[in-house]
Amino acid sequence: MSRPPRPDRRAARLVRWYPRSWRARYGEEFVALLVDDISERPRAPRRTLDVMRGGLFARLTAGGLAGDLRGPADQLRSSLAAIGCFIAAFLVFGVSLWSQLTIGWQWSAPSAPLVEVALEIMSAALLALIGLALLAAVPAILAACRGLLGGQRRELAAPALLFLVGATVLVVGSAHFAPGWPGTGGRPWADKGLVPAGPASFAWAATLSVTAYWAHPDRLGGFPAIEVAWMALAPLAMLVAATGGALTVRRLRLSPRVLRYEARLASLAALALLEFLCGATSWTLWRDPSPRHLFAPGVIDALDVSVMAVLLMPALHLTRRARRLLASDRARA
Amino acid sequence: MARDGHGDDERQGGDALTTLGRYAGPATLLLASLAGGPKHGYALTKDIEGFAGVRLSPGTLYEALGRLERQGLIEPLASEDRRRPYRLTAAGAAALRAQLDDQRRVAEVGLKRLAGAGQLA
Repeated sequence: MSRPPRPDRRAARLVRWYPRSWRARYGEEFVALLVDDISERPRAPRRTLDVMRGGLFARLTAGGLAGDLRGPADQLRSSLAAIGCFIAAFLVFGVSLWSQLTIGWQWSAPSAPLVEVALEIMSAALLALIGLALLAAVPAILAACRGLLGGQRRELAAPALLFLVGATVLVVGSAHFAPGWPGTGGRPWADKGLVPAGPASFAWAATLSVTAYWAHPDRLGGFPAIEVAWMALAPLAMLVAATGGALTVRRLRLSPRVLRYEARLASLAALALLEFLCGATSWTLWRDPSPRHLFAPGVIDALDVSVMAVLLMPALHLTRRARRLLASDRARA
Repeated sequence: MARDGHGDDERQGGDALTTLGRYAGPATLLLASLAGGPKHGYALTKDIEGFAGVRLSPGTLYEALGRLERQGLIEPLASEDRRRPYRLTAAGAAALRAQLDDQRRVAEVGLKRLAGAGQLA
């Protein structure tokens, strides 16, 4: 039977389950406790599981998803950052689904009126989300600029740069691949006028990676290599942008008034996501009898809707939490 | 309203423990251990194991310690090595007293009823 590694090495490995902020405060003393515990009981699987659970819980707490170790303003900032991440993840799947549908609509309107209504609901929700994102971005960008020019340069530079790199790659790549959109080649949405072809083709290119083709490598092999490379790179760019954005928001010094404003916008955004999900679910449930099957939902669409529903739950939970934090803050004041 | 001669501070202390939810058990054990003097993590584990027969795993112990510190019921002391000791604050002592009074009341009622049931049997 092999000898277990030295207690200090095992303790150092175990403490990595905890987030950096937690380790900065408790890391040393926790390692000391683990070393003593491991020396006394070298083999204790329950201890490992307990540390893993504690570490994951500390990470959820650091992300604003659980616990109350920090002050209300910190919790609110973390919750807002996490809400932003869930909204972004939801939109990756939602925009992918919507942009595929706009391709069909560019060729012909759906035969079933209910499918048409579902598509309009989704488009309206997306427009609302764009408006809310712009409203939310203004004070956050101003605070980031103030921080970068003031005393927060070291704190904010790295996450802001991460966000800019991710967003730039996403925008440049999407603009490059957008002309390949299989719609009608950039003609405005003739009979609806709700969404012009430009944004639709851009959204399609940005979310090319959300596709069932990954399950069919033989067919994926027929695609140009540069397009497949983009399909692999785009999610990475999104992840980098989302991580940078979330870290930036968590480090911003936002006034209580701005935090309240952002929390209200987040609640409205969660409602818009719910509206989008209702539209998407309606579309997958009501069959369109169109002879060209332009609007027939497939397995990937059902999966898209399921993933969106799963992502919406923590977003709603976090907005409720943000409202509770605001209410308790008001009660204290 | 104060009960059993204890003041509002103690009632608030009890409320502090009830807000710990599922950590209230480990929190009471930790506070009871620290009532005997400052201790670091491993010393707390051994002390609690000795008087309560419960061994708190490191992750559970530090979750409860963090919450108690956040609530001002315990505080860390300076340390010469990596083992940082903690001590009970005045608010922590009040919270522990209120919690133990509640537990004693429940225990007394339960024991009285068991004794009554024994007479019936």
